[in-house]
Amino acid sequence: MDYSSIRFESGKAAIYIFPGLCKGCGLCIEKCPVNNLGWSKVLGVFGTPSVEPGHNEKGCRACTLCENICPDCAIYIEKVKLKN
Amino acid sequence: MMVKPLMPKCWRKESKPHKFCPGCGHGLALKALGMAIDELGIQDKVVFGCDMGCSLKAWDFFNVDIVQTHHGRTTPVITGLKRANPELIGIAYMGDGGGYAIGFQHLMNSAIRNEKIVAIIINNTNYGMTGGQLAPGTLPGQETETSPYKRKGDTPLFGANFGAEECPQLWDINETGYPIQGPEMVTAIAKQGAYAARGTVANVRQLKDFIKKALRNQMDGNGFSFVEVLSTCPTNWRTDAKATLKYLEEDMTKYFKVREFKILASEGGQQ
Repeated sequence: MDYSSIRFESGKAAIYIFPGLCKGCGLCIEKCPVNNLGWSKVLGVFGTPSVEPGHNEKGCRACTLCENICPDCAIYIEKVKLKN
Repeated sequence: MMVKPLMPKCWRKESKPHKFCPGCGHGLALKALGMAIDELGIQDKVVFGCDMGCSLKAWDFFNVDIVQTHHGRTTPVITGLKRANPELIGIAYMGDGGGYAIGFQHLMNSAIRNEKIVAIIINNTNYGMTGGQLAPGTLPGQETETSPYKRKGDTPLFGANFGAEECPQLWDINETGYPIQGPEMVTAIAKQGAYAARGTVANVRQLKDFIKKALRNQMDGNGFSFVEVLSTCPTNWRTDAKATLKYLEEDMTKYFKVREFKILASEGGQQ
């Protein structure tokens, strides 16, 4: 039970990834409509790669599809206001 | 500030990450069930019954009362609990092996007797825990451990004869019958006040609404509530995330229609 998170900022969202919960199934990567998610170098709970955002230029749209599809609740999306 | 993962409140945090395989649909179905329990605020009244098969790994999933029974006997156990104490809210959680194969008579008779329970069946089109054998929900054209040349079937939905030459009669869909359609069956035999729907783990929000309606139907004391959930099994399907989602969203929904079959009386259902 490791609930430590890594915070990423991408586009309209602050994305928290919990590598201690991520099993590396890749459903979120397939569901992401802007292809923002990809494999990370941080290992998940089964020793498989966990996920990280920031794999496209525009960044996250904060649609929370990945948060919904994750069977382990390893992603938490916080919407942030753009500065300009 | 420490950020907590966005789990349903009734989930048992100590047992996470849960025991299901990566990409398993059980996690999503239980997430939808957890959200429905949270929204109705019935955590202290729920009795959750899990079955043999992969669904038994949900035995420590929730902070609710849980009973684990033999193959397919979850429905009568929950029925007994509900009859002994009508205040409880009974949820019978089964896989398609437990609910449709070995425990089919219990499911059918509960629907006929119109027991006031909720039955949730997770259909991942194979027997997941024992290694992916042919199950009642296996689709024509699907390759499983016991149908390595694909299940044969000449149906307009799936095109030409799958594996016609090399496939023995055992897997012929014209010999062994079509995959079972649970909600359609419950709709045909259930009496007044029943509820039947089929959801999919590709759409957790819709699935949560179906489960919530089923629980509400039981709380109002109307009758049998049945939700089938189309689920995934990447380990035994031997698919990656992309192929898993494609099979779930495109191929399975051609035969298993995702919709409500028998709606609640409060929403104008035919009684």
